[in-house]
Amino acid sequence: MKKIVMKFGGTSLATGENIRCVANLVADSAKQGCSVIVVVSALNHTTDDLCDAAEQAKKRNEAYIRKFKQKMLEKHSAAALKAIKNKGVLQEIEQIIKKTLDELEKVLTGISYVGELTPKSRDFVVSFGERLSAPLVWGALRDLKLESQWVTGKEAGIVTDANFGEASPLMNVTMHQLRERIGPLLEKQVVPVVSGYIAATQDGVVTTLGRGGSDYTATLLAAALAVDEVWIWTDVDGLMTTDPKIIPSAKMLPELSYQEAAEMAIFGAKAMHPRALEPIMKESIPARIRNVFNPENPGTLIAKAQTAKRTEVVKAIALIKDVAMINVSGAGMVGAPGSYAKIFDVLGKNNVNIMMISTAVSEANISLIIRRSLLGRALSTLEIVLLGRGSISEVTAEDDVCVIAVMGANMKGTLGVASRIFTAVARKGINIRMIAQGSSELNVSFVVKEKDGEVAVRAIHEEFKLDKAPR
Amino acid sequence: MRIILVGYGVVGQSLADILLRRSIETVRDYGFNPKVVAIVDRGGAAINSKGLDLEKMLALKKKDGTVGTDPKFGYPQMSSSAVIESVEAEVVVEVTPTNVKNGEPGLSHIKTAFKTGKHVVTTNKGPLALALPALMELADYNKVYLRFSGTVGGGTPVLELAKRGLLGDKIIAIRGILNGTTNYILTKMEEKCITFQQALEEAQKLGYAETDPTMDIDGIDAACKVVIMANWIMNKKFTLKDVEVQGIRDVTLQALGKASKRGNTIKLIGSIDGNPTVAPTEISKHDPLCVSGVLNAVTFVSKFAGEETIIGRGAGGMETASAVLRDLLDIKHNLASELLM
Repeated sequence: MKKIVMKFGGTSLATGENIRCVANLVADSAKQGCSVIVVVSALNHTTDDLCDAAEQAKKRNEAYIRKFKQKMLEKHSAAALKAIKNKGVLQEIEQIIKKTLDELEKVLTGISYVGELTPKSRDFVVSFGERLSAPLVWGALRDLKLESQWVTGKEAGIVTDANFGEASPLMNVTMHQLRERIGPLLEKQVVPVVSGYIAATQDGVVTTLGRGGSDYTATLLAAALAVDEVWIWTDVDGLMTTDPKIIPSAKMLPELSYQEAAEMAIFGAKAMHPRALEPIMKESIPARIRNVFNPENPGTLIAKAQTAKRTEVVKAIALIKDVAMINVSGAGMVGAPGSYAKIFDVLGKNNVNIMMISTAVSEANISLIIRRSLLGRALSTLEIVLLGRGSISEVTAEDDVCVIAVMGANMKGTLGVASRIFTAVARKGINIRMIAQGSSELNVSFVVKEKDGEVAVRAIHEEFKLDKAPR
Repeated sequence: MRIILVGYGVVGQSLADILLRRSIETVRDYGFNPKVVAIVDRGGAAINSKGLDLEKMLALKKKDGTVGTDPKFGYPQMSSSAVIESVEAEVVVEVTPTNVKNGEPGLSHIKTAFKTGKHVVTTNKGPLALALPALMELADYNKVYLRFSGTVGGGTPVLELAKRGLLGDKIIAIRGILNGTTNYILTKMEEKCITFQQALEEAQKLGYAETDPTMDIDGIDAACKVVIMANWIMNKKFTLKDVEVQGIRDVTLQALGKASKRGNTIKLIGSIDGNPTVAPTEISKHDPLCVSGVLNAVTFVSKFAGEETIIGRGAGGMETASAVLRDLLDIKHNLASELLM
């Protein structure tokens, strides 16, 4: 019998109708004899709203708290009303929503009394989003006569460290507990509904998983229960060769390797965070990105690399805006050990993440890419520290640049890929400011002026015929 | 280094001028690349995170009297504290006029800067005279630097001489002519045998004295400097109200004549030798302190190195702005070593 983890994102749970539709998807698979484990995110925008409310509570805005509770009650009750037909079940779910929101109000009021919001209390507030959405889905499933039970990530057995806001699971304990607690439900033909994103420390204090979020909950469950596939249900058909807003003829990618999918993280929210891929990568469990609103579509399969057709060298192209380039130069850096270390050290201490690095063996200069919003701070700090020390003569910046990342597992070992990429770009008369290729050879990244970004993406998309049907 | 310039009067504009004229050398010789990201004056603010064009800002100030009217970077209504709070920068240069009643707006500017993690360079004596011990504690607590070389001696490195030049020695007493206006008046009274009133009018005509000369002739300006030196150099927790102050209104030609016969003259001397005082004092004409015109002079009495006297022009826009530049370089130097540790 096939076992599947199905994770539903916030947009696929946006309304009561959507929740019903989600329940039907689960029911269909269950009726076909699959064991399904459901993982849910919070309803659309709820997590952001909870963060705002926590901030308002910190500012002692009690009127906001009352209004916020009312708003949440209306949002979730309306969804329940649409999602659940059976009166008895509906009443039960409404009770849970009310009770949960009463608790939330108490927590927020508590925060407003102390006027303090710690990462720990923020995690607790945020956890209410998934604590509200899971019962809704649970109700909708029972409405369809499915045996089901809902649990929080904490109850399911996900144990993390106490790094609130960005907690890491204690992997072996988590795996063991998930097997112990969720496994028996599956044996009894019960569909577990697990609230994603949230977990707890060994002492039972609520934490959140941060990067990777609910996807991570899904893959943890998948690995623990040795399922056959993980389905990440979202509101797009799958991952695309590039942003369809730039190139309308962008195609959906039918298949990606784990490594490729990890590289795709830079493509933004629709992709899976590399952290979430980790548990299933180890167990070789495939994941599939699917569209709730178009379930006929098979979506994008993320699985172990196939010894695939050599033709598909380039799979996808991403355009990353909102970045800036910093160039540090000085003849004194040549052959001077520790020059680069100083640069990285200073930026690290100032919490500036470096996205891309390029330097020549001549060592006379180094170029870095960072988030554009951090440029002012980074540039000023580098100047203060590095200038006037002899070895470094100039720190300059360009904030009108963008990064283009060209990705594909088969680029590895294929000769002439870089040449084709850069020839295509050069033909458009675009100057390349900086190039980097990791030794994994999965990704070539380069920097051009922002105004040239879309043209360059289009040129490469055409060169590798990504708009043609996959061969 | 990103700088917010609060106050765009004589000192502020002089600083802009110096930064413009010295920009190439400061980068080459000191590794100091200043970027003025905001200027605030009475009429509003101009903000550009990439650095304002100082030449344009000087021209605009001349034309409109404010930089808030800049079509692209101007914010006519924006308050100084909003700018200090919201604009990202390393240093706030606070050069608004001195107010010895409550130190405002300078005091709030400095506190706001500290709270948002910005270092402060100021030439504003008011906040320091009223609350220097408190401000030094706040700076320490917030791990930022507070520098104010320009408050004593204008461009003359009076504070640095004591703090750096006499490093390790113990300074027992400080005496000095700390105000150029009063020294000019006293010098002219003696030279030309004119009354205090006449000498004051002459000083006003030449622009050495303000229309309202109270701060200078009643010794308050000198007293502020005494407070700053006592705190910074001698570690005493004095504020303005601890200083016994007497101005020069009552100095007569007669008294000057009598002193002259003894080979002496009368100067307005600020002194810290036990209690801090400011008063017209008879000193020998051969005393190195005895300088004429608008000059300032300060003598440090140190335990081992003996007496050192530093003489220089005590005021002026360019002079004071050069002290600000010195402070900025000092902060840049400290930050660089701190960040490399």
